[in-house]
Amino acid sequence: MFRFASRYLKQRELVEEAAQEVFLKAFTELDKYEGRGSLEGWLTRITTNTCLNMLRSSRRRPELIVSDLTEDENTWLESKMVNTANEQHQSNERSLVAADLAARVLGTLSADDRLVLTLIDGEEATVSEVVELTGWSQSKVKVQAFRARRRLRQAVEKLLTGKEETTKRS
Amino acid sequence: MKSNHIISLLEDKPLGSLSESELATVKAHVGQCAACLRAYRSAEISTLLLKEHAAHEFEPSHFFATRVLARVREQQAANEGWAFTRLWRATGALVSSMAASVAALAVLTLVIPAEPGTQQTAGSVAGLYSVEEVLAQDNLLDSELTDAQVLNTLYGSTGDSEDSDGISR
Repeated sequence: MFRFASRYLKQRELVEEAAQEVFLKAFTELDKYEGRGSLEGWLTRITTNTCLNMLRSSRRRPELIVSDLTEDENTWLESKMVNTANEQHQSNERSLVAADLAARVLGTLSADDRLVLTLIDGEEATVSEVVELTGWSQSKVKVQAFRARRRLRQAVEKLLTGKEETTKRS
Repeated sequence: MKSNHIISLLEDKPLGSLSESELATVKAHVGQCAACLRAYRSAEISTLLLKEHAAHEFEPSHFFATRVLARVREQQAANEGWAFTRLWRATGALVSSMAASVAALAVLTLVIPAEPGTQQTAGSVAGLYSVEEVLAQDNLLDSELTDAQVLNTLYGSTGDSEDSDGISR
């Protein structure tokens, strides 16, 4: 449950808060569990809904521009601009930098966009699994994923364009 | 494809799940289209970021379980408090209705006077006259009367004020 919550929420305090909330909900609403699906599935759905509500209530960052990036994030982005996906193995530190940058970029998207991208593109979940987890319709999941991918790509493209302009100027 | 470039292909599904032929189409197109090349690179970096985002997980802190249990206990205590309140309210309603019933009965018994005729009739029917009541009605004092007079007052003149053995009562 804790690990599942940490897929969506990238701050330890928020993850703990969500996990606590899920435990409490599960404890108080155990009588509503009808035993039709697995207990794990029931808990996962509660976790997803709790995290989605938390994401929805959190303030959305309007935009992320190059000047907002840290030095480490700038370095990571530069390295990826040169050699995008070929670098398979990277240090833990660089992984953390990438995870932080991902959280910041995702922070500019809506809660629903973040959820669907995290699950489908990040976790490689199928559309049916997302339907099961969220209770959304299959077409909603597909459309949401399509639009979310576009928005994320545009946000990253804006950063890359900004980086290129900065490099040219310097 | 030429007019729409390959951008819709990049957005339709995750980059990792593009088929060989789709990937070949994308790579052939980005070789001659700068806009699509930028979009493709952005999509690659987006995918990479999402993978890193998914891979990064937290472990619960040492006191997490303690904190959760404490909150569960708090919740339990709150629920018990609520249950007690509900019980108290239910009991209160019961006690109130019982008190109202007792008060109504008390009013009916004590405050509303019974009709004298009704009481007397009831007494006559039941034959429940006491000596004291009869004497009081006739304004007679017990000490002033002989036994015979008392009997006479109670049962009227029956002519057998003396027993068969002749003893005067």
